[in-house]
Amino acid sequence: MKVTIDGRVLEVEPGTSVIDAIFHAGGDVPYFCSQEYMSPIGACRMCLARIGAPRKNPDGTWILDEETGEPKIFWFPNLMATCTTAVMEGMVVDSTSKDVKRAQSSMVEFHLINHPLDCPVCDKGGACELQDRAYEYGEGVSRFEFDKRHLEKHHPLSELITLDRERCIHCKRCIRFFEEVPNDEVLNFIERGAHTYIESVEPQLASNFTGNITDICPVGALLDTTSRFRGRNWEYEHTESTGMDDSTGQAVILDARTGRIERIKAGHNDEVNKTWISDGTRFGHEYADHAARLKTPLVRENGELRAATWEEAAQKMVEGFAKLDSKDIAFGFRADSTIEEGHAITEIAKHFGTTRVDHHPRAAVSLQPRQRGATLQDVATADGILVFGDVTEEAGIVDLRIKDALKGVDPAPLMNHGPPIADLRLKERMHRKTEILTVAAPYEANLMRHAARSIVYDPGREETILGAFLAVMRGESPGREFLEFKDEIEAAVAQLKGAKKGVLILGGFILNNPAATALAEQLASQLDLKELRVGPMANSRGLEYAGFYADNAEDEFDALLANSKGIFISHLNPAQAAPFKASFGRAEFIVVHDMFLTETAQLADVVFPATSVYERNGTIMNLEGRLLPVKPAPIGAGTAQDLHGVAKAIGDAVGKRLNGRSIRSSRRELKKTLRLELADVPRTGQLITQNSKRAASREYMESLRGDVLMVPSDYRVEYLPYNEHLLKEHGLPSLRLSPASAETFELRNGTEALIEIGGLRRRVQVVVEQSWTGARATLPALPEQPVGDGYSLVVVSRGASADVELAS
Amino acid sequence: MSNGRITTRHDERFSPTLYKHIGVENSHTMEYYRSHGGYDTARDVLTNRTPEAVVKDLQDAGLRGRGGGGFPTGLKWSFMPPPDGGPRYVVCNADESEPGSFKDRYLLEDDPHQIIEGMIIAAFAMNLTFGFIYIRGEYYRGYQNLWQAVHDARKAGFLGKNIFGTGMDFDITVHRGAGAYICGEETALMNSLEGLRANPRLKPPFPAQAGVYGRPTTINNVESIANATQIMKHGVEWHANLGTEDSKGSKVYQISGAIQRPGLYELPMGATFRELLYDFGGGPVGKGKAFIPGGSSAPMFPWRDEFLDMPMDHGTLAKNDSMLGTGGVIVIPEEKCIVDALYNLVRFYAHESCGKCTPCREGVGYWMPRMYKKLLAGLGTPHDLEMIEEMSVHIRGRSFCLLADSCIMPIQGSLRWFRHEYEYLIEHGKPMYEKKDWWQE
Repeated sequence: MKVTIDGRVLEVEPGTSVIDAIFHAGGDVPYFCSQEYMSPIGACRMCLARIGAPRKNPDGTWILDEETGEPKIFWFPNLMATCTTAVMEGMVVDSTSKDVKRAQSSMVEFHLINHPLDCPVCDKGGACELQDRAYEYGEGVSRFEFDKRHLEKHHPLSELITLDRERCIHCKRCIRFFEEVPNDEVLNFIERGAHTYIESVEPQLASNFTGNITDICPVGALLDTTSRFRGRNWEYEHTESTGMDDSTGQAVILDARTGRIERIKAGHNDEVNKTWISDGTRFGHEYADHAARLKTPLVRENGELRAATWEEAAQKMVEGFAKLDSKDIAFGFRADSTIEEGHAITEIAKHFGTTRVDHHPRAAVSLQPRQRGATLQDVATADGILVFGDVTEEAGIVDLRIKDALKGVDPAPLMNHGPPIADLRLKERMHRKTEILTVAAPYEANLMRHAARSIVYDPGREETILGAFLAVMRGESPGREFLEFKDEIEAAVAQLKGAKKGVLILGGFILNNPAATALAEQLASQLDLKELRVGPMANSRGLEYAGFYADNAEDEFDALLANSKGIFISHLNPAQAAPFKASFGRAEFIVVHDMFLTETAQLADVVFPATSVYERNGTIMNLEGRLLPVKPAPIGAGTAQDLHGVAKAIGDAVGKRLNGRSIRSSRRELKKTLRLELADVPRTGQLITQNSKRAASREYMESLRGDVLMVPSDYRVEYLPYNEHLLKEHGLPSLRLSPASAETFELRNGTEALIEIGGLRRRVQVVVEQSWTGARATLPALPEQPVGDGYSLVVVSRGASADVELAS
Repeated sequence: MSNGRITTRHDERFSPTLYKHIGVENSHTMEYYRSHGGYDTARDVLTNRTPEAVVKDLQDAGLRGRGGGGFPTGLKWSFMPPPDGGPRYVVCNADESEPGSFKDRYLLEDDPHQIIEGMIIAAFAMNLTFGFIYIRGEYYRGYQNLWQAVHDARKAGFLGKNIFGTGMDFDITVHRGAGAYICGEETALMNSLEGLRANPRLKPPFPAQAGVYGRPTTINNVESIANATQIMKHGVEWHANLGTEDSKGSKVYQISGAIQRPGLYELPMGATFRELLYDFGGGPVGKGKAFIPGGSSAPMFPWRDEFLDMPMDHGTLAKNDSMLGTGGVIVIPEEKCIVDALYNLVRFYAHESCGKCTPCREGVGYWMPRMYKKLLAGLGTPHDLEMIEEMSVHIRGRSFCLLADSCIMPIQGSLRWFRHEYEYLIEHGKPMYEKKDWWQE
């Protein structure tokens, strides 16, 4: 469609909004209420322009201008909000004339009359849309001579977000975000006219994506409490990186100042997370600056750990391992290490003559789908989705992309200025096609609220529920256990059979069970579904892709710990559980690479201080198979090093240049095996559809069943004690129980308790879910007790910590 | 006097129809309504007519919406897409809250069956099965009578399944508003009806495409619905012969303010203000200074012959930079300070601004009343007057819905005719007319 923007003629798609046409043409108009990926509402009235269009005669020909012979332009009587006006053939837009500028400056004036002039103390100052637009389009003086509105300045919407009501300009972005993006309606306007303010009805904001409203707030009204008053925008060093808190690979911007991470903002990756990130990723960074972090290596001397230099520590490790037979030495590392680090630890192991290396936690099956893999764009455009698991907690971005699919609006192509500012296909309170979504999980998952069909099965019955689906596919009964869900399963199968772009999403509950996964594969192939597998950690798929895992049962992580005399362990804390602690007692030499003096580190002979995920340089692969770069933020953590640093220190100690001693060295070596230059991976990622290797299925641990099911959580439970604000928001990890289970274990709703599961003592808060039936209990997983495991529950003590101390 | 178009109530061929029964004891009851041929029209239409014919009749009769906009009702009905199996709605907008308008109130209180009958006809014409009547929360008596009427109609088989034995299903829900002027705006009304915050919605999509619950919806004013009943009863010819070529039919005008006999008067469209204000209203109390022709948002006219002799129809008033609106005429007496009168109006609009868009929330809702307050406190400067004028330009036509325009239009009207009163106030620090004791005998 041909339009003329300020004299420039260009072609745009029909249905494009005028504001997008203006930006596409390289022009600019101010706006506050429009926001990429959200509905345009035309509330701020900033983007006014003069618009005209030709008209047709009744016979279909253009009405011509008598003088020029060209189609005559009929100007609209009023200035139009360009964000809510669609382009028309031959439309002419004037966004730069004096009248239009005057109208825009007048709107700036209206915006500013009740906006406090506290920019010098406002955290948004320097990165504020209102400030920028007032400079660009305002008159610079205010003619408003009355008192401004006075409202609450520090209203905590939650422990993580603070609202300054005076600064709010009522653009409605935050309210619309909650309704449109995660579809968790938790905010609305209260009162009307100039008294309008934002409020949530229930205390706290019940959503996993609340932090995004601080990114999209065009003024300093909504602020991230963790970073409030901690720095000015121009002082932050921004690092574009990739979120390491779940397997989706969400783009993040790490904002650091004077060697600390102060806040994390959402990055933009159109095909992955768009501009949204989950709260666990945004707010879960405070541990990286915690005072308890190890700053120097430690070595054991006379039974005590003492501070040492890296040279000393590396020497000690080399000496310690030298006394052991190389086949008794094993290496374990965490699944959010980068691909390059995976290479480094493998090279270290090689140096000590062993190949016994495994990462943890690991799914029991390959994370590469056997048939066609789905991308997140496939999820967002799907017309039938079957989810096994709780993706809201396990991989928040998958949840958001499913909600995109429910809206039934395909992702818009990028324009010259990026995603459309005002996509007219998006509306407030759109109809959601819940009928395309089926969710099955061992408990009431949040996503079930948005699904037409949901199935709650008993923990450990993954094989049976998939069997029931396959039975219905064959036209049989789903079996006695799932008779009550017969209608749901039949409807789901019928819907997915009719779907042309169906997607099957498998969470940890299924991927921990090879037999269930095999059935899921059958289902996927029979229904012709693309498959998305949610790995346990940020780089689970990448480590499999590059081959850094144990491919025989004796070398798997748990076996490594139990059967080795020399152990190197990175970022994992198995010794917090009593059984492992006992087996560690038998190990002769333990080296730990971690950020904190964990229970495992306390048993070690050598401890290396480790970098947090925010200090790493490297590459990961997300759940789709997309390679994504991880960049280090400039933050100080003593002499902490990643696994490359360990490799280098060991090389120095023995006078050799070990491969993997630096990221460059690792990439050089990996280029030979992966046939890929990891340094060239673009910021938005590189999709690899076929893994070079595919892990074999492991044995399913039937023994890991019990009273309490380990479930995913959006935030990282192991770092919760070090994340002050996140801890305040969430409290202790929640032990959720059905009323029957609560009675069995004599636990009361809202109380604290110390429990022991799988030999691990954990302090929890008790939440009794009144709607749950039968005996049911869940607890957020730890890396050492991954999603899908089950343990028997022993209540050590009930009540707050003070009481516990008395009891013990 | 006895041929050609009927444009005055003095014409012997004219007799009130809409308001025939208003004020009669027990006129709101089913017995009374039935005894005057009630529901016979609907029965006749449902039995003997086709929906297309009804819509065509309405178009031929030239009925224009009575809520203020004057949009042709028949055309609006013809916009409804054909049935697709899903629900489609007709909504009666009884959220009459414009200062100076009170015509719907008496229809709701004294003749609710007329509205229900009109709704049945509308439902038949648009082939739908469910209607809402959104009634202003403050109209409690109207609500009671309307609710009783709906109940009685249901009991009599005029609402519900298979009405009049024609196989047509239709029912009505009466929904009470909660005291917001903005709910009279049709898209805000739909939001309110759905239980959402009463903010106007974006148009397009228009209600006929996606209205209540996203389904095709037609929204009509109470008086338009009542008129539909009358057109079906008395015929297209009868209606088309009433009023002017531009605006046909009869209309209920309201007079309030400084007038001898305030109240409601049904006149054919095109009657003059003089006829309404002198022949029926009995002339102003004291000396008239100005009158607002059609509800508070219509720009006022000074009390001059040229305006008093103006016919009351949509076209003529639009040509004179005002509007017929709801036909609620407010008389402003000579002794009333015009700035003070406007301050009263501005406060109303400031209070009712929904807060969605910036110019209305900040301009109408916050800045404008403070400017007037300043002027009336005697602290105004010539610059303030310019400021009001300039602000008016920046608000009018640039806000999201018409509420802000409704505030600005009377301001601009007052400045057009009574600028000297503003200037006097600024110069002398006190109003030209200082009378305050309006409520003393």
